[in-house]
Amino acid sequence: MKITKEAMCGTLESNDLLVKVVPFGGLQVSIYSEVMRQFGARIREVVDETLKQMGVTQGKIVIEDKGALDCAIRARVEAAVLRGAECEDLDWRAL
Amino acid sequence: MNDDVNIETLNPREDKRGTAEVKRLLGANGLEAEADVQVFVVARDRKKIVGCAGLAEGVVKCVAIAKERRGSSLAVRLMDEVQRLALNRGQSHLFLYTQPKRAPLFAGCGFHRIVEVPDQVCLMENSPVGISEYCESLQAFRQEGQRIGCVVLNANPFTLGHLYLVRQALRECDWLHVFVVAEDASKIRYADRLDMVRAGLAGMDRVTVHSGSRYLISKATFPTYFIKEMREVETCSTAIDLLIFRRYIAPALGVTHRFIGTEPFCRVTRKYNEDMFKWLESASVEGEPIRVVEIPRLEVEGRAVSASEVRRLLTKGDFAAMAALVPPTTLSRLRALYAYRTQLKAGHRAA
Amino acid sequence: MKKPRRSMLFIPGSNAAMLSTAFVYRPDSIMFDLEDAVALCEKDSARLLVYHALQLPAYKEMETVVRINPLDTPYGLKDLEAAVRGGAQIIRLPKTDCVEDIQRLEREVERIEQECGRPQGSTRLMAAIESAAGVVNAVAIATASPRMDSIALAGFDYVVDMQTQRGDGSEIFYARCAVLHAARAAKIDAFDVVFSDVNDDEGFLKEVEVAKRLGFNGKSLINPRQIELLHKAYAPTEEEVHKAEQIVKAAKQAEREGLGVVSLNGKMIDPPVVHNAERILALAGLTFGHA
Repeated sequence: MKITKEAMCGTLESNDLLVKVVPFGGLQVSIYSEVMRQFGARIREVVDETLKQMGVTQGKIVIEDKGALDCAIRARVEAAVLRGAECEDLDWRAL
Repeated sequence: MNDDVNIETLNPREDKRGTAEVKRLLGANGLEAEADVQVFVVARDRKKIVGCAGLAEGVVKCVAIAKERRGSSLAVRLMDEVQRLALNRGQSHLFLYTQPKRAPLFAGCGFHRIVEVPDQVCLMENSPVGISEYCESLQAFRQEGQRIGCVVLNANPFTLGHLYLVRQALRECDWLHVFVVAEDASKIRYADRLDMVRAGLAGMDRVTVHSGSRYLISKATFPTYFIKEMREVETCSTAIDLLIFRRYIAPALGVTHRFIGTEPFCRVTRKYNEDMFKWLESASVEGEPIRVVEIPRLEVEGRAVSASEVRRLLTKGDFAAMAALVPPTTLSRLRALYAYRTQLKAGHRAA
Repeated sequence: MKKPRRSMLFIPGSNAAMLSTAFVYRPDSIMFDLEDAVALCEKDSARLLVYHALQLPAYKEMETVVRINPLDTPYGLKDLEAAVRGGAQIIRLPKTDCVEDIQRLEREVERIEQECGRPQGSTRLMAAIESAAGVVNAVAIATASPRMDSIALAGFDYVVDMQTQRGDGSEIFYARCAVLHAARAAKIDAFDVVFSDVNDDEGFLKEVEVAKRLGFNGKSLINPRQIELLHKAYAPTEEEVHKAEQIVKAAKQAEREGLGVVSLNGKMIDPPVVHNAERILALAGLTFGHA
């Protein structure tokens, strides 16, 4: 999946996260969280896993986390990538 | 829960009644509605507006929450919507100015501090990595040397005066970084201005020409909206811009000296130059001090070379007179860009 | 004995915070809404939120319902894929007007179950009646498929279709009765309308009383505060529980002795009465926390 335009998904309300994706030559993931120390590694793990499953190898992804659960992280990253890739349909086999 | 609140958009040019209500809410919060706000995002509790946020071009301003609604997640909802709206309008990078005491509110809404003038104003942006990534990209251009200089040019257009400034600066430093102001507010488009600078300095050693950015003299770093006193406005405007330079841009490139030409014409630029000594050289401001070096303007026939004079000649189509003020590279580019227009004008007059 | 469903809590599918925490309210049933609660520009992301939330262990232990968008919208089918694959137990179909609506839904559900390897028939269906046509076709809808789990009345859209507005309840009386009868005839559950004024406890309880008396199994809720109020209202009285215990005991006795007829105090107890007693005990179990 290739990110072709700037997109975002999510909110900054508690237990949610805001994901922004931008077309970019390489793959760059920046994570910002109020609970970076405790959960930073876990957030990164989930994000990396999701990006890998979707076949994203290029793009700048910035994540601002407000204490979201893994399920919300996956959902918001997937939705942001789909929007950025201008792709309407999800390949369910990939998930 | 804020389920009873609806988030809507409001066009100040169309919705007079809504705008009046927004003005009242802003007034109650000690703020004024700014003329350059293109759209307001408002929160309505039934009919009443209980929160608002304005979007100008790439800048968020006029944010107010009714007293009884503070402490709820209304601010977050409003600001989330502002970001979504802005993205849909092609503005993904947003700046925001606020009084330092209000900064924590916006910090909870996805905005991150860039710089702050204590007790006056705080500049924020909607990315945790905006300024840091910009600085990282600049670091690739670091050069060795004891004296690393910097010059910021509007170059509207690039004149012999600018060339002279660059040459003089080069005599006093080991390497010179030249930035071109990126704002498309001038008569001549940024892309052309940048090209003329590159062409004018082509082949010169120890010079790097950088494209401009929103972090260096842009509409974003010159707020004119929320501080009522004009005097304070100007102070804070230049302060923000210079603080960013001192705190971020200079360290990224290792800049030790900033070179400026004396400014006999423009009041705003002259004020800016004065403020440079205050904000860049002073030891009491955070960050390594930077030497500010003022270089007297190049004079041609007893008059300081000015870009505004070149623009005046451009309007008249007087390329011959222009030749005395600009390098050949600039002249040929201006001819290519504007000659046909002056021909048209001449044609009209003849007809 | 199927677990009683008194409370069905609506959760907007676009709200990550609520999706992450709503299970703590312990409604009998939780409904993730992808339809009216979600703005058009967020349909895509809400769908994914629900898909992932459905797989949280806390929700696997509860009964989960997903309200998809109607199948003739650009969203409906995609919602269905996410809901079935995510493991929702029940799909709530809004604006169910006729048998064909259910049949179409059934075909798609069957296909998706097959594609994703979910046990055939494990996804059940709930029809939401929101129009005059739906009311008139309620019986056919309720019996349209072996997957039919329940039928719900959605008051707001229904009164709009009827060219009136919500008031003292008389405007939805016929619809309530029709939906109930259809449910009973089809032997499925019936859910009453949403009470939208979250600050009016008295009004809510009045409406619950009416619904309960008519025979509704439960009610759709939009605020967690309504859950406890509803559960209290549906709690059987001590006398009811006592009588039910006696009936069930007699039924068990009859079974043990291989008798074809259940009797208590010399009177014959019909099977429906026994079922009813079991239902009351199940409600009691939920309310008072013992088996």
